[in-house]
Amino acid sequence: MSNQLHSPWRVMAHYVCLCLLAIACLMPIWVMISTSFKDDIVIFDGKPIWFFFVPTMDNYEYIVGRGKFDRYLVNSVIVAVVSTFLTLLLGGLCAYALARAEFKGRRFVANATLLVRMVPPAVLAVPAFAMVIFLNVNNDLLVLIFFYTALNLPFAIWLLFGFYKQIPVELEEAAIVDGASPLQVFFRVLLPLMKSGYAVAGIFTFRIAWNEFILALLLTGRNTRTLPVAASGFLTDTGVEWGRIMAMGTLIVIPPLLFTFFAARQIIAGMTAGAVKG
Amino acid sequence: MPGVELIDVAKSFGSTEVIPKLNLSIDEGEFAVIVGPSGCGKSTTLRMICGLEPVTSGSIFIKDRNVTKAAPKARDIAMVFQSYALYPHMDVAGNMSFALRLAGRPKEEIKRRVDHAAQLLELTDYLHRKPRDLSGGQRQRVAMGRSIVRDAYCFLFDEPLSNLDAKLRSSMRTELALLHKQLERTMVYVTHDQIEAMTMADRIVIMDQGEIQQVGTPREVYTSPRNRFVAGFIGSPSMNFLDAQLQDERGELVVRGDGFRLPIPDRLQQQVQNTTVTECTVGLRPEHFFARNDGSGNLAALKLNVDVAEYIGSSQFLAAHLGEQAVTATVDVGPDAEPMQSGEYYFDTNRLYLFDRRTGMAL
Ligand SMILES: Nc1ncnc2c1ncn2[C@@H]1O[C@H](COP(=O)(O)OP(=O)(O)OP(=O)(O)O)[C@@H](O)[C@H]1O
Ligand SMILES: [Mg+2]
Repeated sequence: MSNQLHSPWRVMAHYVCLCLLAIACLMPIWVMISTSFKDDIVIFDGKPIWFFFVPTMDNYEYIVGRGKFDRYLVNSVIVAVVSTFLTLLLGGLCAYALARAEFKGRRFVANATLLVRMVPPAVLAVPAFAMVIFLNVNNDLLVLIFFYTALNLPFAIWLLFGFYKQIPVELEEAAIVDGASPLQVFFRVLLPLMKSGYAVAGIFTFRIAWNEFILALLLTGRNTRTLPVAASGFLTDTGVEWGRIMAMGTLIVIPPLLFTFFAARQIIAGMTAGAVKG
Repeated sequence: MPGVELIDVAKSFGSTEVIPKLNLSIDEGEFAVIVGPSGCGKSTTLRMICGLEPVTSGSIFIKDRNVTKAAPKARDIAMVFQSYALYPHMDVAGNMSFALRLAGRPKEEIKRRVDHAAQLLELTDYLHRKPRDLSGGQRQRVAMGRSIVRDAYCFLFDEPLSNLDAKLRSSMRTELALLHKQLERTMVYVTHDQIEAMTMADRIVIMDQGEIQQVGTPREVYTSPRNRFVAGFIGSPSMNFLDAQLQDERGELVVRGDGFRLPIPDRLQQQVQNTTVTECTVGLRPEHFFARNDGSGNLAALKLNVDVAEYIGSSQFLAAHLGEQAVTATVDVGPDAEPMQSGEYYFDTNRLYLFDRRTGMAL
């Protein structure tokens, strides 16, 4: 049996499959990055040039130098960071309550949160827009933060609920008997064990908040635009400015990449192993 | 002076009543052991004492202070959890020092206490391991260590030795007894191992279905069990119970059942004369059977049909029948004896117990 599993052909087949998948995933990214360094002549050349062209920084110089790139970057960072923080804070509290408090139908509530998540944001765009106009609060980053938090909460709650369920309640009780205040129980016992959960939830939340387009398009104005909306500005009446869009795209990818890299280091499997009798 | 006192304490989870009404007073500095079968409410009682579980009614006093509504922290109590409840992200030293660190004790003191406890529990080599890299027994010892480093007024132990092997368990028993002598603190120890209870306790509290059946010294509960439950629970192997009738045979009081007729010992004469009960249960402890009549005590002959004789060193354990009823006996016949056969055995009638068959109370 183990012979079969580890036969060279099988191993090779695995790697071939993995390589194909990797190529399929990476190719669009390569297209984006390479295009961002091409000028229009290369881009619109009859057949695609994959690797050998003279790179140019023109696209980057254009998007960073003109327009309000820095402004939009700051907007995006504020919106993504604040809404992620709020989502984790509120979602964590909800998840904790759902995992610990005894009340009728809590499992239903916990799972129902996920159902809410099934509604695509696009469906909510028009009602959201109407609300914002009615309240006369458009063009405000806070509004976007509010909607992103609301949008991400259900998934974060559901995810963190699962993580909290895995922490035996005896650990908290032991800490209480050891003399810990509620805050100490949270910061010194629960949080270290929940790191993985918050990291996973954070990655998802940040990515969605960072990339979201439709709501951002509807709810922001000249000064409150986020980067994805700004990128769409290069779809002009006179044509699509591919080089600039791709340069923008390349820059947009970097922050979530850094965030994910940092957050993923907090994910450790089997954190609660050894806490209680098997 | 009572160290821990429970007055009319009752506990229900929703509509299920787990503890109807419990009164218990544990003296300051006493080592009290609560024993009882699984699910009888031992852990629940401990959890109410330390404040993790609110009482449904009644009140709890610790050191003469009403703590019924007090938070666990305010009760000055350390507890070893049945499930260990170790902090998985802290190493052994971190687990043991957590309470002291929270209390803001000086570093040297913490180190001294942790080292001392680690030495006592043979954990010195493991101080920097995480719980997941420890065996069950080691984890249990860490759980013990976490409480004994503390200088609490009262210590609660919920089956702290259940996962240890026999050798370590008996050495830990001794260590705990020693520790209790040193600290002179009130300790409440839960177990369902009655050997543990007998060897360690100043007083034993025997519980069944949320109710206290008897409280007394190990000697008291062994020699004068209040009812059939206590008699059957204390002692190993457990007491034999045989249906019988009390009879007055021309002035001599006897108890008669299937295949036996035993005289009532002097100890019970008064009670039997005063009772109206005739249907009773006789209790015979296995260790009070003898293979030979050496003339000591008040031996009465009984005919046992031995089904199996098990060799356990200097004595043998007999699974036998007396008439139609199964009985067990341990007879001390020395390590070289052949397996015991059916035949005449002797019972020390001074050690016989009688219970009202209907109520189960001792006569
Ligand atoms: N949170 C709870 N909700 C409902 N019933 C409970 C709860 N905790 C305990 N019980 C019930 O209370 C009774 C006593 O439980 P407890 O844990 O005190 O038993 P125990 O004597 O410690 O048993 P063991 O020796 O198995 O540990 C059990 O019947 C149990 O099912
Ligand atoms: Mg228990």
